[in-house]
Amino acid sequence: MIQILVWGIYAGCIYILLAIGLNLIFGVMKVVNFAHGELLMLGAYAAFWIYTFSSINPYLIIPASMLLIALLGVFIERLGFRPVRGTGKLNEIFLSLGLIYLFQNLVAFLWSTNSRSIRSPYGDVVLSIGSTKLPLDYLIIIIVTIVFLIAFQLFMKKTTTGRAMRATSQNREAAALMGINVERMDMLSFALGSALAAAAGGLWLISGQMADPYMGGIPAIKAFAVIIIGGLGSIPGAIVAGLTLGIAENVVPFFMQALVAVFGYEMSFTGWKDTVAFFILIIVLILRPTGIFGEKGE
Amino acid sequence: MRKYGILVTVLVVSLLLASSLGQLAGAQSEADEIKIGLVAPLTGGASTTGTDMWESAVLAADEINAAGGINVNGVNMQIKLVKGDTETSREGGVKVVTKLITEDEVDLLVGGFSSGITSADQVVAAEHKVPFIITGASSPIITHRTDIDTTYFFHHCPTTDDYGESTILFVDEIVKPAIYEQFEFADDRPLRLAVLYQDSAYGVGVYDGIKKTIENYDLNMELVAEEKFKMSETDFRTTLTVIKAAEPDVVYPAAFLNEQTLIVSQGRRDVGLNTIYLSVECNDDPDYYTGVERWGEYSIQESRFGPYAIPSGPLQNAVVKFRDDFEAKWGAPPSMMGASTYEGVYIAAEAVKDAGTRDKEAVRDALDELEMPQMVEGMKDGVITFTSDYRESKFELYMQQLIWDESVGETRPKIVWPDSVKETDFVLPDWYEPGSAPTETATPTWTPAPTSEATPVTTATPTEAPTTTPEEPGFEAVFAIAGLLAVAYLTLRRQK
Repeated sequence: MIQILVWGIYAGCIYILLAIGLNLIFGVMKVVNFAHGELLMLGAYAAFWIYTFSSINPYLIIPASMLLIALLGVFIERLGFRPVRGTGKLNEIFLSLGLIYLFQNLVAFLWSTNSRSIRSPYGDVVLSIGSTKLPLDYLIIIIVTIVFLIAFQLFMKKTTTGRAMRATSQNREAAALMGINVERMDMLSFALGSALAAAAGGLWLISGQMADPYMGGIPAIKAFAVIIIGGLGSIPGAIVAGLTLGIAENVVPFFMQALVAVFGYEMSFTGWKDTVAFFILIIVLILRPTGIFGEKGE
Repeated sequence: MRKYGILVTVLVVSLLLASSLGQLAGAQSEADEIKIGLVAPLTGGASTTGTDMWESAVLAADEINAAGGINVNGVNMQIKLVKGDTETSREGGVKVVTKLITEDEVDLLVGGFSSGITSADQVVAAEHKVPFIITGASSPIITHRTDIDTTYFFHHCPTTDDYGESTILFVDEIVKPAIYEQFEFADDRPLRLAVLYQDSAYGVGVYDGIKKTIENYDLNMELVAEEKFKMSETDFRTTLTVIKAAEPDVVYPAAFLNEQTLIVSQGRRDVGLNTIYLSVECNDDPDYYTGVERWGEYSIQESRFGPYAIPSGPLQNAVVKFRDDFEAKWGAPPSMMGASTYEGVYIAAEAVKDAGTRDKEAVRDALDELEMPQMVEGMKDGVITFTSDYRESKFELYMQQLIWDESVGETRPKIVWPDSVKETDFVLPDWYEPGSAPTETATPTWTPAPTSEATPVTTATPTEAPTTTPEEPGFEAVFAIAGLLAVAYLTLRRQK
């Protein structure tokens, strides 16, 4: 069971990084970026290409890929979302849907639809803690995610820019009246959200996943589930929901199997993994429509 | 004014003349050419494979045209390929096949990647009775379906039934004896096989092929786990843990490249399922060998045309030449789908030559009777021909074992079966862990008669053997109804 919990925490870390970026963008700009999964995909490709040309330790590449995708985020915000901001939610939604196809087809055109992978230097290292086997890559990813989360919280709470972003998130008009450049905050939040998605993509790739132009779809859906469960705009909510979802996906099928075994039936529930995420989502929405940590009016 | 009138008249007459002459020339050139529509996903998710199919077809057409074309009743005709991009979608497939037939007026169709797309666009070809040589859709349903006239369809790629049969026969003949000798199992112990298949026509097809083979050949094997997963799944750890608990001797995933890579690496690294993994031919690709890293060592890769291993024997030179010519023309080696499409164009040319006309019905009849030497993929009896029942060509599939190659830092495949093309013997690795000995209650599901040696009974009539697994009691429905009731209750409670 501990083994399964570890896998859940690892999966949860990827969801958290992706969901926090989405939440930040939504919190500051009130924009739902459906193309956030594509930023994960582009982050994975950025990591792949930097690794291919440099051959240095792939974990050291992550900051560079984050920087690249953050710059891309700035362009997307300036050229895409800013012009349509305030013209209606539908325009923003269709813009982000358009970006999905744009990025997928662009990557397929530039680099083909072949699957790409990065070889981790620690790929063969598996730590044995009692009966639990923990690949070193998973441990690194969990630690890196914790470091990112601490740095993110410190940035948001201790720096002037972070406080300005929070102020913009809480009340855009009031923040503008206080002299905060809210458009600059939009740009920064999109850049930071994109960078976190790039980190998720890079780490996912290093942990043994494969990159292709369509890899962003499923993680993005999970990230949306995470922010809805945790509460739109809530960073602690995203952390709790990300971990809950990651662990539940891995643990629930076993509980279900054990449960039906009590009644004398043998049945596998591994195919129900994705159903678990959305079942939790439905339950949370019914009991608390604003999400676990969400505030009314979001 | 009169001068302008004359000028306009001369211009109009000139244009009309030029247009008529052009049409005449076009008609003349169309009369001397055979139009082949190449149906492939040139854009979208499978565009890499589609492009490879197109490039292989171009190579074949160029070779045939350079050699003087096809002699059709004394007239040398050139091949003209027409691109048909399915956009990797069913709608795109239907649209482009309609265009190829009605606007481009092609004589034959070649290609057709993906069973889902082909099963949609073949309906159009059936309505118009256009011969279609299918080189990239693996579901047998393509020529077995009865809702349309399939007599114009000729399946030139192994079906999922073929994958299952060759791989399971190899396991029975080679892997099972190696395991039983190493662990001193009794001969009557059924081999414990786990199947992990994609929830799609392809995955279910391979799964069905496995069951049919065990049943038809009366093999002493027990399916101890049958798990399915959604296409593009990325986390197999939970499923592999369930499979590990079933204690299999061998695991057979029916998965695409990105899924197979994760199944093997997560199975060995995360779950500790140290077993022999089998793999379907579509994964015999350089990306797989790179992605699976060392975790793929000693796993089995079924194939018919791969990037690294070349079967010894009569085909060796032809394969090398095809690869070299392709690489010289396009700058990269061809894929498996490219190889069968390359052959598909030659098959089309041969059929038109045999028919002595481009008449579609005559070409269909010629394809029915076709017998031509194998080209770059091994065929049963060395001949490309289509079966009389479902018009399927039968391939000589081979099995490769992945062996670590220190010089490239990746595994490389070595052919281990059949004997006619084998490079080396199958190796059971020292880390291999077999499944448990059978318990008294574990009655083989599809293996009533244990035999010490696999004796193919090709004439066996498949019958549904009794199963000891309790029937699923419709839990999905129970949970769905319970869930809906809970939602309804909570909603009503909130409204109060």
